[in-house]
This record gives sequence, C-alpha cells and structure tokens, in this order.
Amino acid sequence: MKNVLITGLGVISAAGRDLDETLNSFAYEKRNAGRVSLFETALNYPVFEVREIPEEFTLKGQRTLSLALCAVYEALGEADLEAGLTKYRVGVCMGTTVASQLNDLEFYKSYRRDGSAPMTAVDRYLKGNLAQCISRKIGAQGPSLTVVNACSSGTDAIGAALSWLKNGLCDIAVAGGADELSRIPYCGFGSLGIVSPDLCAPFDRDRKGLNLGEGAGVLVMETANSARQRGKTSDLYLGGYGSGCDAYHLTSPSPDGTGLKASIHKALTDSGVAPQQVSFVNAHGTATIENDIVEGKVLKYMFGADLKMLSTKGFTGHALGAAGGMEAVFTALCLRKGWIPASAGFKNMDEAISIAPVKEKTAVNGCYAVSTSLAFGGNNAALVFRRDEKI
Amino acid sequence: MNILGMGIIFTGGRGIDCFEDSLKSGWRKPSEVSGPTDKKYSVYRVDPETLTDRAILKKMRRSDKLSRMAVLAAADAIESSGIKNINKERIGIIVASAFGAHATTFKFLDDILDFGEANVSPTVFSNSVHNAACSYISSALDIHGPTLTVTQFYFSFQYALQLAQAWINEERCDYVLAGAVDQCGAVLEYVYNCKLIQAHDGRIKPFHFEPTFQVPGEGAAFFLVSKRDSRNVFCAVENIRFGKDPDGHMPADLNIIDTDGLLPDESVYIPSLSPDIPAAAYSPLFGSMMIGSAFNCAAGALTLKNQTCYANPVAENPRGIHLLNDTGHSNVELIRCIRYNCHGEKAAIYLKKYKEPAS
Repeated sequence: MKNVLITGLGVISAAGRDLDETLNSFAYEKRNAGRVSLFETALNYPVFEVREIPEEFTLKGQRTLSLALCAVYEALGEADLEAGLTKYRVGVCMGTTVASQLNDLEFYKSYRRDGSAPMTAVDRYLKGNLAQCISRKIGAQGPSLTVVNACSSGTDAIGAALSWLKNGLCDIAVAGGADELSRIPYCGFGSLGIVSPDLCAPFDRDRKGLNLGEGAGVLVMETANSARQRGKTSDLYLGGYGSGCDAYHLTSPSPDGTGLKASIHKALTDSGVAPQQVSFVNAHGTATIENDIVEGKVLKYMFGADLKMLSTKGFTGHALGAAGGMEAVFTALCLRKGWIPASAGFKNMDEAISIAPVKEKTAVNGCYAVSTSLAFGGNNAALVFRRDEKI
Repeated sequence: MNILGMGIIFTGGRGIDCFEDSLKSGWRKPSEVSGPTDKKYSVYRVDPETLTDRAILKKMRRSDKLSRMAVLAAADAIESSGIKNINKERIGIIVASAFGAHATTFKFLDDILDFGEANVSPTVFSNSVHNAACSYISSALDIHGPTLTVTQFYFSFQYALQLAQAWINEERCDYVLAGAVDQCGAVLEYVYNCKLIQAHDGRIKPFHFEPTFQVPGEGAAFFLVSKRDSRNVFCAVENIRFGKDPDGHMPADLNIIDTDGLLPDESVYIPSLSPDIPAAAYSPLFGSMMIGSAFNCAAGALTLKNQTCYANPVAENPRGIHLLNDTGHSNVELIRCIRYNCHGEKAAIYLKKYKEPAS
C-alpha cells in the first residue's frame, strides 16, 4: 500500500485543550467530569465538558465548529501548514452527530407555538456543515465530506480520507471528528438506559453505563510524495482502515461481534500487520454492559488475552461523533510516546469479558496500535497506526 | 465504474418503470397542503401507501418514512441489477442526505416538550440518529460490508458516488449501494417557504434561472455500482469532477442540470450550457431537493440505457437555452449532470453509454 503519513495531530476534550494538557491528564489520571453547565436539564448524569475553548476559535452558537477548529489548527501547526493550504490539494473529512441536525429546541418551540419562528437557528445550521465550514476556514480546495455514522463517525471520516489519499483525490487530508455536548442526545441516551449516574468505568465488572462528553480530534494525513515535496517527515503513519456492519440491530451490537471482527481484520490486512505485532488497542470501551462484553470478547479472540488495551473514555466521556477522531489522536500520540495511560475507572475484571484493560500507566514498545469504534446502527470501524522507529 | 441497478422512490411512486413513465408523461401538479398558519403551499410528497412492502420492511416496523424510502430504493437497486446470489459480504453502502432524519428529530423534540426529559421515547431517539436509514438497509438486506452516511447541503450525492468509486478501486468491496434520501417534513417545508420563493402555480421552472421557484420534494434514489458487469447495466460513471472541470470542454450529448429553485439565483448554470448541446432538468417531476442530483443522474442513466431522450417537463425558456424538447429515440453517448452550490462551485457527474467489453 501507499504510505500515508500523519504529519499533524490536534485534540481538545475534557482531558485538555491540546496534546500536552491531554498527556498530563492521562499521566496523572485527572478525570475532569462534573454536572452539566452548558444547558439546563432536569437530568443528573455526570458529563465530561470542555471547560474552556481558546477564544480565537470560539464562534457564537457553533460550539462543535469551535471545538473542531481548535483541533484543526493545532494539527495544522504540527504539520507546518499554518501559513496556508491554497497551494496544496487538501481534502477535509469530518465526523459529527450533533452538528448535522437542526435540533434547536427554542426554534422548534416557537414553530410549534406560533406557527412561525426566527430563522437564526436555521441559518446557523445551514451555514454550519462541519467539513464545508472547515474547508472554507482553512482554504482547502479538495474534497469535503461530513460523515454522520453515529459513534464511529470520526473513525470513518479518517478512513474515508485515507481512501481519498490512496486514490489520488487529494495529497493532504484533514480528518477526524467533533461534537459538542447537547441536550438532545443527553436525553436520548438517558432514555436508552445506558448512561451511568456515576463516573464511567469501561470494562469494569460493576460498570453502569457511559458518560457523555465532547471535543474534537483531528489528524493531518499526507501522501509520502506530498510530505517529501514539502520537506516534512513524520514518525507516524496511518496503516489501514476497516469497516464492517453487523446488520443486526439499530442500537445493540451483534453478540458475536461479526462487524467488529471484520473491521479489525480488514484494517490489519490493509496494513499488512499480524495481530501479534499490535502493541496495544485503544478500545471504543463506552462502559455500557453490551458494548464492553462484545468488544472485550472480540479483542481477546483476535489479539489474545495478553493484549495491552485501554479505553480513554474514562478521561473524556463518550464524545459521539468526535470519539473516533479523538481516540485516533490519542492512539497515535501514545504510540509516539511509548506509553498508554491507565484505563480510568477500571478496577475489577468482568468474568463475562475475561480480558482486562491496563490499570496503570504502562510502557508500550511496538510499532503498531489499533483504535476501534462501535456505533449505533451496527457500524464498526478500526484504524491501524504505525510508528517508524528510524525517525 | 458501472451503474448495474437503480431503485427510486419519489412522488410519482416506486420503481424505475414508474420513474420512466413520469419522464415520458411530463409534469404533474404537486399536492397542496396547509402550513402551520393554514396557508396553502405545494409539495411533492411520497404517498405512504408506496412504502408498504411487507416482505422487505418486516424487520423495521418502528422505522420512519426516511428509512423506509431508503430501504426500498436500495432493495430495488439490487433487484433491478438482475444479479442473483450477490455476495452481500462484499457490498458497501453509502447513504447521502442533506437533512437526514430531521422529521424524527422534531418528533423527539415533541417528546421532550410534551413529556419531559426523563420520559422521552428511546425508539424515536434511535430513529432520529442520522445513520438509522443506512442501518436499516444493512439489516433489511443483510449487507455486511462497510457502511457510511454522509450529510451535506450540496454535493452529498456526488461525494458519495466518488467515495464509492474509491472503495471499489481499492477493492474494499465489489459493489456499493450509493444513494441519496431526504424527507420533506412540515418544519422543513416551512423553512423552504420562509427562505425561498414558492412556485404558486406548482411549477418549478428550471430554465427561469432568476428569480427561481421551488416546490419541496422528497424521495430516495439508489444505485448499485461496480467495476463488474451485469445483464442490466444502465451506463458507466465516466468521471466525477468538482470545482475546476478539465472535462468541461468535452462534447457531451446532453447536459442535465439541477436547477430546482433552491438557489435564489441559478444563473450561475448558464455559462456551463452550450448552444450546441441540449439541456434538460427534471426537478419538476420530483421536487426541489438538495439531493436532487441523484434523481437527475437516474434520468441520465435511463436515457443512456434506453437510448431515449426525455423532454423537459417544464420548458419555459426566457433565456433561449437550447432545450431538449422531444421525447424519443436518440443516440446518446455521454451525459454531463451538473450541480452548482451557493458559492458558485460546480460538481459534474459524467455518465457514458455502456459498451460491453470485447470478448
């Protein structure tokens, strides 16, 4: 396969406003969760909010876009592309959930009550398509696509961008995911009975469900030829992407993990990597009963019981369309740093899963890592990352 | 890449034959409905009776109209290809939309407002998630390949088709069901009518260009695409271009344009038309939709397969454009399907007559 370099990483979440803050939270097991402050609600589930978006990226009424821009510019900075993109063929592929829906409660209340409503929310929505907005902001002139694959959106967006690069549709791709914490999914996930009243505990025997979060994670990906022409090198590569559908149920994963197995298998094959070469897996690990059982069993089946694995959702909550983007960044970053953080919240192994995530900061030595995502609708996606030891 | 099969749900009914009948018979008046303040307006809605296929929809009793339209169109696309025992592990799905499950999202907001946050319906929430339609397609048709839902106000179908081509080139799958679906709920109709000029006589006038007139529409159009052949190949997708179009000078036999009143000024299309090439626009048959490109693309594919041109359903032509005015046999090799967005950027899908490979 053609080599695709990762020349930039950017992230914002409850764990930190950038890569450094995030690593600090990971290293010292800081879990910045609390009550919802972004909207009024009668519900009382803890969430992982981003406490402060740097002012230069803050756009009024467009929190998802603000989060995305924060991560995009950090990634562009690392890729030495801050000065402008107009001379390159750059694609933008972003995953989201909340930013794709006209779900403004005040607008709808007014429409229901009066048969009319101000168009402010509509205008914001129509002008707010995530990938298109980012393309315009950064001056990207290549393909632009907003992926709405529920909780695997960010991973699938990176996978779609990888296809663009491999097919010569662009030379550089800005890809990942972004989502804000919103009242609508907060109520929706509550109704499904899968939200924990306590801090989430992925893969733990006594887990009670997920916590919602928000944020953005973005990769700058680039063909080897483009990087060479710019004089840019990187120690990180995106090796492969796989996706498979359970075709089972709208909200529950297939109990035998059909789609997840297929997606991991495809991502490994794409990369030319054997399971035993993978040094760790950053699992989707939402901390719901069903997700963790299915995912844990599949990971054990595919990688063996000695696999080093973790879920970073104990630090960020489940950021839905952003999750795959953020976790791609975390995976790449951990591969580069040579350690993974404790899987926050995990204490006791669940015998029904029979594989345990790491309990403490752990050294990882290999060159390959995997990030997985499972989503509503039975979507499953996996990415394989490679670190080049020579650089 | 070839278009091996197509499935269409639109205001005129379900299926390619129905769509072709509509292309042949021309414009039909839309239905008239009352808005939130009892003001009347025109709309091209899909009759719910069209969506009652028990065999296909048996697993999705709780699904919404958007998902049903998508599933039936996707099922018909496979069926129309005539391929028996297609390997469903090797089919991918890409669903393009502009507004997704917005009608169900508003139903969920009704739940919050009427019953409180703690008493909302999990079923309604699940169906409001953007990729629900794609999920229903995979489970109803037992497809296990990669699945993706994309949303954009412009070019979502074109980008879906381009990604389908990339997946096939990479051998990520052998076939892709690439399609577009949108529903026209009451709130969206209200928004359309607030922001754009309604066609009070019910006629979208695609060659009026400015001012423009819209009639909201809804439906689904799906295409089974592959590098492979089938006995029913409709046409080949020769190219998909965005922005700068190096193929723009190619001597196409027909330009199909997506003018439908969703841009207040559509005169941006005029320079891409030629006095030497006839132009057609079929939006008056299915309504104004951000994903209307998929339906025009289907009309182009039928033109190439049947070697039959279909006259413009509404041919008011104040600018003297060279229009396609007659329905009948014609030798058509290449069709350019053109869409512009509100920033003056272009997407063009080039459809080419399928030629069987020399044995």
